[in-house]
Amino acid sequence: MKTTTPLRFRSNSREALNDRQLRDNLRHTLGKTLHSREAAVAELPHWEQLRRHARAVKLHTLSRLGRTLRRLEAAVLERGGTVLWAETAAQATQLVLDLAHRRDFTRIVKSKSMLGEEIGLNEALERRLEVVETDLGEFVVQLAGQRPSHLVAPALHLSRAQVAALFEEKLEVSVGQDVERITAAARSIMRRHFQRAQMGITGVNFAAADSGTLVVVENEGNARLSVSVPRLHVAIMGIEKVIPRLADLSVFLPLLIRSATGQRITSYVDLIQGPRRPDEPDGPPEFVLILVDNGRSRILADPALRETLACIRCGACQNVCPVFQSVGGHAYGSTYQGPIGAILTPQLDGVGQAPEHPFASSLCGACREACPVGIPIPEILVELRGRVQSRKGAQAWRIPGRKWAFALWAWCCSSPGRYRRLLRLSRRLWPLAERLPRGAARSWSLGRTLPHPAPRPFRDLYRDRKEGP
Amino acid sequence: MSRSRILGRLDRLEWEGPDLPDLPAGAEGADPVWRFVRAAGEAGAIVGDGRGGRLEECLQEVLRVTGAEEIYWEDEEALAGHGIEYRLRDPRAFQDGKLVYSLHPNGRPGFPLLLHSRPRTGQHLERIGLSAASATRGVADTGTLLHETGAGRGRLLSILPPAHLFLLRVSDVVADAAALFESWTPGEASLATLVTGPSRTADIEKTLVIGVHGPRQCLVILTGS
Repeated sequence: MKTTTPLRFRSNSREALNDRQLRDNLRHTLGKTLHSREAAVAELPHWEQLRRHARAVKLHTLSRLGRTLRRLEAAVLERGGTVLWAETAAQATQLVLDLAHRRDFTRIVKSKSMLGEEIGLNEALERRLEVVETDLGEFVVQLAGQRPSHLVAPALHLSRAQVAALFEEKLEVSVGQDVERITAAARSIMRRHFQRAQMGITGVNFAAADSGTLVVVENEGNARLSVSVPRLHVAIMGIEKVIPRLADLSVFLPLLIRSATGQRITSYVDLIQGPRRPDEPDGPPEFVLILVDNGRSRILADPALRETLACIRCGACQNVCPVFQSVGGHAYGSTYQGPIGAILTPQLDGVGQAPEHPFASSLCGACREACPVGIPIPEILVELRGRVQSRKGAQAWRIPGRKWAFALWAWCCSSPGRYRRLLRLSRRLWPLAERLPRGAARSWSLGRTLPHPAPRPFRDLYRDRKEGP
Repeated sequence: MSRSRILGRLDRLEWEGPDLPDLPAGAEGADPVWRFVRAAGEAGAIVGDGRGGRLEECLQEVLRVTGAEEIYWEDEEALAGHGIEYRLRDPRAFQDGKLVYSLHPNGRPGFPLLLHSRPRTGQHLERIGLSAASATRGVADTGTLLHETGAGRGRLLSILPPAHLFLLRVSDVVADAAALFESWTPGEASLATLVTGPSRTADIEKTLVIGVHGPRQCLVILTGS
C-alpha cells in the first residue's frame, strides 16, 4: 500500500533491535525455516539446473509479456471465466468492490495474497463489507490489526503466547498456549465464515497461458475452500505471474516450495480452471480473474531493474538476510520486506517513498545465492542506491566532505609511494580517528570496534619475507 | 481502457529475451509404486495396499483408523474403477447428484457394498466423517495424488470432511512431476488439485499442526495389479 510520508527504515529498525520479544521470536522461527530449507534443497542434486531453467522461463516471459498475457486471457475466457484489467491499486480494489456491489454481496472470505496487501484490498473492502482472512497466519495478523511481516509466514513476528492472548481478547476463546487448540479454534470459526461467504478472493502463484490454469500453492486448505464454497471466485494477480506452459510447474513447484517452507511439496496445489461446469455438482458459478499492473510495466521498462519481476515470492531471501533476521519485517514499513522488499518497494512506490530501503543491506549476497530464480538483488540494490543519492538535496545519506575524502583517497592510492606514506601516517593519526566519527560514520562505528592498524604494514612484512633473513 | 493501455505499454517494451528452455523429461526410476508409498507416508498419509484381494481388509482398516461408520463415495469411478462391488438402492442416485454412502456400523465393509443416498445439502456435507474418491494420478517423488472435478465430481466432498480416502490404481503412478505433466494435461475439470498428505499449518512459531481447514487424515488404498 502506498504511504504518503517516506518510509523510515533506520528509525524503525532501531526500535526493532531493542524489542527483545521480537528478536527472540525471529531467531526461534527463522532458525527452523533455514534448517528445513537447507535439507530440502540438498535433496535435489539438480537444484542449480532447476534454477537456471526457471530463470530462463521467467526472463523469456517478461521479454514478451504482452503476448503471453493475451494468450492467458484467451485461455481463461475459453474456460468460461471473466478477465478484468487494472492499471493501478485503486482501480483494482474498485473492480473488486464493484463485483460485490453489483451482486449485493457483503461477506467475503479471502485467502493469502501479497498483491492484496500491496493494493490495500482489505482496507478498501472493510469499510463496507465483511472480509475475513482465512489463512491462519493472516487471520492472526488481521485480528491483531497488523500487517504481515513475512511473505510466507505472515505472523512470524508473534509467539504462541502472543497469539493465544489475542484469541482470548478478540474472540473470547480460551486456548491456553497450545498451538493445536489455537488452530482448532480458528478452524471452527472459519467454517462458519465459509458457510456464509458469497465471494472468495485468492491470489495466484502462477498462471499458465497455454491451459488457462491458475495455480495456488497452500498447506491449510483455505484456498481450496475459498474457491469452492462461495458463489463467486475472484483471483487477483500481478501481470508478472504468468508463465507460458503449465508443464513448467514441474520446475517451479519444487523451487518455490522447497525455498519457502522446506517441504517437498505443499499439502495442496490448486489448479483452478474457471467456474463450475454444468455437470459438476458444486463450485462457483462465476469466476473472475483480475490482472493488475500497478507499476509493473514501468519496472519492466527499466533494463537495470526489471529482473526484480522474476520474483516468485518464496521468502528465501528474507530468511537468509542478516538484516531481516535482526529487525524483522515490520521495520521496513512496506508490503514487501527483506531484500526483495528493499528492491521492489522503491520501484513500486518510487525511490522518494522508500529512500532508505536500498541501504537496508550489507550487500553480503546471501539473498542472491538463496533466490530460486537468481535475481541479482545486490546489483539492483547498488543501482537503486545510486538513484537515491543522485537526487539533489534528497539523498538518504549525507556525509560532509565525502567527495573530497574520496578524491584524496584515490590520489593516495594511485601511487605506491603515496600509499606507503598514507599507511605510516594513518598509524600515527589513529588515536585521533577514534574520537572523530560523527554522523553517518558514527552510525556505522556504533557497536563496532575500530580495528587498530598493525604495527608493521603487510607490504613491509611481505618485502622482508621475500628478501629472506 | 486499462487493458489496451497496459498491453500497449508491454508491446512497446518487448526485447530479445532468452529462449524458452525445453521441458525437463520425466524420470524413469525403478519401482515408482514403492517410492510413492514411502513419500506419501513421509508426508503424513496412511497408505494401504489393496492389491491381491486385500481391498476389503484395507477398507476395514480405514474405518478403524478414522472411526467412521459411513463412507461417502464421490462417483462410480471410485467404486467400479477400483474393482469394488456395490449395489445402489437408488440406481439414479449418482446421476441425480445425491450424496451416496455405504453404512458400516460394525466397522466391516462387506462386499458388495449397499449404497444409500441423501440429498446434497450443505448441512449433510458438513456432517460427513469420511469421503472417498478416485485419484487420476499418483506422483511417486512426493507422494502426491491428483484429484479432478468432473461429471458428478465436485470440489467439496474431498475437502470438507475430517478424513478423506483416495483410491489409486498402481498403473496411474508416475515417477515425478515432470512425468505427470507429460502424461496428463488439464482437460475439462474446473478444478484439479494436487493433494499430498493431510491439511497442515506451521504459521505459529513454525510448529506443525495437522488438520486446519482440510482433512486431518489423508488415506490411500492402492488398487489394480
